[in-house]
Amino acid sequence: MSASLPTTQTGAPQGVASPAGTALRLFLSNPIGLGGLIILVVLVFAALAGPQLYGVDSLDIVGMPFQPPGDDPILGTDYLGRDILAGLLQGGRASLAVGFTSALITVVIGVAFGSLAGFFGGAADTLLMKITEFFQTLPTLLFAMVLVTLFGQHLVVTTIAIGIVSWPPTARLARAEFLRLRGLEFVKAARASGAAPAYLIWRVILPNAAPPIVVSATLAVGTAILFEGALSFLGLGDPNVMSWGLMLGQNRAYALDAWWTVMFPGAAIFLAVLGTSLVGDAFNDAINPRLRKR
Amino acid sequence: MKGGAALWARAARQIVNIVGLLLAVVVLNFLLIQTAPGDPAQVIGGEMGGASPEVLAQIRAQYGLDRSLPEQLFTYLGKVAHGDLGYSFYFNQPVTTLILDRLPATMLLVVAALVLAVVVGGGMGVLAARKPDGALSRFVSVVSTAAHAAPVFWTGLMLLVLFSSVWPILPVAGMVDPAAQYSGLDHALDVARHMVLPTVTLAIVYIAQYSRLMRASMIDALHADYVRTARAKGLSERVVVGKHALRNALIPLVTMVGMQFGQMFAGAVLVETVFSWPGLGRLVFDSILRRDYPTLLGILFFSALLVILVNLVTDLVYRLIDPRIRTGRAA
Repeated sequence: MSASLPTTQTGAPQGVASPAGTALRLFLSNPIGLGGLIILVVLVFAALAGPQLYGVDSLDIVGMPFQPPGDDPILGTDYLGRDILAGLLQGGRASLAVGFTSALITVVIGVAFGSLAGFFGGAADTLLMKITEFFQTLPTLLFAMVLVTLFGQHLVVTTIAIGIVSWPPTARLARAEFLRLRGLEFVKAARASGAAPAYLIWRVILPNAAPPIVVSATLAVGTAILFEGALSFLGLGDPNVMSWGLMLGQNRAYALDAWWTVMFPGAAIFLAVLGTSLVGDAFNDAINPRLRKR
Repeated sequence: MKGGAALWARAARQIVNIVGLLLAVVVLNFLLIQTAPGDPAQVIGGEMGGASPEVLAQIRAQYGLDRSLPEQLFTYLGKVAHGDLGYSFYFNQPVTTLILDRLPATMLLVVAALVLAVVVGGGMGVLAARKPDGALSRFVSVVSTAAHAAPVFWTGLMLLVLFSSVWPILPVAGMVDPAAQYSGLDHALDVARHMVLPTVTLAIVYIAQYSRLMRASMIDALHADYVRTARAKGLSERVVVGKHALRNALIPLVTMVGMQFGQMFAGAVLVETVFSWPGLGRLVFDSILRRDYPTLLGILFFSALLVILVNLVTDLVYRLIDPRIRTGRAA
């Protein structure tokens, strides 16, 4: 069945640069996006390889509490005498993992809601958008706090909670794209040749709706990292897993006497969010060349 | 009077929508109480609220926890409908009282931050839009990107450190100086001094967003046909920019402000925690610490109510700014 369907609209005619290729070239020629990408690559590398390379356990007490940065350890120690740099390297794993996983959950729920609403329209659209509207009346951070308080301070709960509270904007975006695309010629052609709804949604429309969704997913990673930090800052972090947010939350009370215990983890969150938003913006510019002049 | 009938129909639809949303929030709260690990009575009583066996038995009776789930739901709905959001056994006060007591401090902070963000952010955006490739424009872009990425709790902590040890010219904690016992104007000035750092901290992210948004929509507006027409008519630059372009460029900003009110409210939780501001944020923090679930769920309901009300106001403001919506032609 699928052999007879016009599937080539997702790719490009031979000899002409594909939209994806053009977008990629535009992205790579944008110094801001590249800068963001470099920040993210460095952070991910530091989180993955850093703990082994540095060789200090982030939970080990290596010296006196509140040693200022300078000599040894280079970034000082926290309120228990743990190495701040080791915490940053180890904590990056949890913070980045929460960021990427929550963003994935956000996109999966958001695209599911948005694509079904936009594709089917009518009663399905009304119902799905009512649910979306409902979730948008709950302040996201507050809702996430309630979920983590009720269901336990565990990294998995945090990750799912952030995903659950963050999806509505993605759903709206996906819905708008599906509404726009479903009336276009190539979708009509595929429909006329007898394609099932699932095939139309997955194989025909979704690939064409992907670019703006990818942009929002990139930005969702940054938001999720911010949320993990905020939850841990309020004392809702997983106490058994080192993360940037946990470092901030645990050392918060001593910020006035030992600024370095909160400055460095906060700076790490800042860099990660900055990286994702630079990459997201550059993506956005690459897929909307019209806006590049702005 | 066709327009009048349409207006009433619209109002009726909106009321149904609002009631539906509020009902949904209550049902959500109910489901959260039911699905949270542990005994629902414990959840309602608050884990560390010091709920004794007698209190728990009382809760079970009050909320009908021995009856079927639909009956329990109706009992719960009935309580909320009468303005009863539950009782905090930790604070030993009804949740509604707790919330209303702390609401003014939070509203003061949120509204001040909002005004600051709209004035400074919007102003920067408008100025930057006049020369899209100018130095100010680039400055706005860079600063807004950076400020947008800075976690509000971190900026707050850094300002706290800066203004308490390095440059102690502003109070960094609380809402008033408890030792001074000011009254009248002195009291207001004291509150104003205490407000500076929390307000600025909360506003920074939004200044960044609004300046960016305002810059983009102002550039759009300045290139629109009606602006060219206004210029061709020989209107002064002030009228063209200030009236024709600005008015249209404000619409996306109003939408954004309305949509983000809830986020700002939640952001206040973090800022209040940093600067010991005695508002709802502190209450949230304390109820998390004490596992005071009724208070936490009450605040969730209350904040949803606020968001819904703000959406309604946004809709009205919209109508005031955009003449196309006002005449009803757009509908």
